[in-house]
Amino acid sequence: MTGPVSVPVTISGDGPGEGPPTPPADVPLTFLVAAGVGLVLGGVAVALAADRAVQWPGHPGVVSATHTVMLGFLTIGVLGALHQFGPVVAGRRLRSVAVARMTALLLIPGVWVLASGFAHSPSWMVRAGGTMTFVGVLLAAWNLSGPLATRGADITVWGLRCSVALLVATAAFGIVYAFDRTHGWFPLLQNRVMAHAHLGLLGWLGLTYVAVAEKLWPMFLLAHRPSARSGTVAVACLAAGAPLLTVGLLFSRPLALIGGTIVGIGLAAHLTSLGGVLRHRQRRLGLLHAFVITGALALLTAAVLALVGGLAPLDAVDRPRVVAAEIASLSAWLGLAVIGHAHKIVPFIRWTTLFERGKAQRPDGTPLLFEDLYSGPAAVGTFVLCSTGFAAVIVGLLVSSSTIIVLGGLAVSVGGAIAVVNLATGVRLATRGASEAVPVSNPLSRAGSMT
Amino acid sequence: MNPVEVNPVDVNPVEVARHALRGVLDPELGVDIVALGLVYDVRVDGDTLVVDMTLTTPGCPVSQSLPGQARAAVAAVLGDMPVDVRIVWDPPWTPDYVEPEARRQLGLR
Repeated sequence: MTGPVSVPVTISGDGPGEGPPTPPADVPLTFLVAAGVGLVLGGVAVALAADRAVQWPGHPGVVSATHTVMLGFLTIGVLGALHQFGPVVAGRRLRSVAVARMTALLLIPGVWVLASGFAHSPSWMVRAGGTMTFVGVLLAAWNLSGPLATRGADITVWGLRCSVALLVATAAFGIVYAFDRTHGWFPLLQNRVMAHAHLGLLGWLGLTYVAVAEKLWPMFLLAHRPSARSGTVAVACLAAGAPLLTVGLLFSRPLALIGGTIVGIGLAAHLTSLGGVLRHRQRRLGLLHAFVITGALALLTAAVLALVGGLAPLDAVDRPRVVAAEIASLSAWLGLAVIGHAHKIVPFIRWTTLFERGKAQRPDGTPLLFEDLYSGPAAVGTFVLCSTGFAAVIVGLLVSSSTIIVLGGLAVSVGGAIAVVNLATGVRLATRGASEAVPVSNPLSRAGSMT
Repeated sequence: MNPVEVNPVDVNPVEVARHALRGVLDPELGVDIVALGLVYDVRVDGDTLVVDMTLTTPGCPVSQSLPGQARAAVAAVLGDMPVDVRIVWDPPWTPDYVEPEARRQLGLR
């Protein structure tokens, strides 16, 4: 160390009047547990819809399975992470913890009512579930606007502002569509499902991940890049390109091509940013990076399939198949990222709770680390099952094999179940037998080892 | 393993505090914050022991807990002496600040 000069910018008084900006642990964990259940059931739903998926990707059963994965797993999981990450990165609290809990109470059952409505066709369920989900999304957006209104926002906060706005747009698109199915306000447009899926996957979920990655990747890999310009380009292009692509898919092919090109530039910049982080990393690669890099391969697959589906002269049978595989690839990109980061986020939240209770010790009294809070081999099992499962679903859709899709869906489901059990039971295993009478004022007893 | 109360008149509180900070581990990396180079300065200012420390990056998830741990660890060994832990961002932390032994432990390149 070369003796840096200390210039205080922010003073942490750690005084009695100050509290952490993050909400209580039950807020993000409620979302994250529900997302884990969504992953398990989403895999089962994909397996159950496999026969119809290879015949008609627009079948209600397939739409139900898609919404289970998109909303029940991805959206709920990402919202849970944002309720934790947003306040941390912005240094400002949510507008209301009570509203955050209300969001979960509306959103989680709403998603399942909506997915059941699609699967079993009673339109009232679609409308009720859609309304609950939409209101839940509005509450989440209002709540997250508190921390995201921070001054001096960096590219991550700017990206999150745009992605939350596009989440509201995606939900509004969906609720209008849900009611239009029965009320017939206006003729249904041909590419509405594709447009809706791309707005949600790229504008909401993709942009959120791209923005958050600019903060998390360098931190986890201790990578200090000379420039983060590619990350800025990625966020800007996704924020601008996803809405253009959506409108273009609905109304104008030239506009869709422009929007798709901008999105493509953004995603290429995102991958360039990942490459820069890997090149400048100081730490060894770990399990998280296996999830991230495999997810990046899924993103590349999606890009190729998007080019083929959008530009190649395909017939009416092959094009939906390719587009369905592209949607599955984008889901794999984001799904693997969410599962991988959950193995960082959940242990962190659980550790913080233990620390605040003065119980952040191993049974032998040494300090508890994040890696103690889950089983590494089980996490590797989740990675193998989920990555091969997603790959099987993509391949199954491309070669029209319901058997491969069934196997893929079940593999994802089992991998998700292992992750849920692993992350839920890790704390008990790590702290079993540890003394519970450790004072909070000295949570790390090694501080007194100088005796 | 019990914390030792030190009379700052008898012992240099800066050294005692620095030793105590060696017991504060980054729960993500498993390395203490002094070895990570996160502690920039420890000094006595009036009757208060002041610790200037940083984090690996602004927005670091442990930003809420590490300063509190540092403060608790130092307070535990300094008795009634007031402790002020300050987070500073200039200069920004880089992996170059990590001590050689910790570099080996972390497998830093």
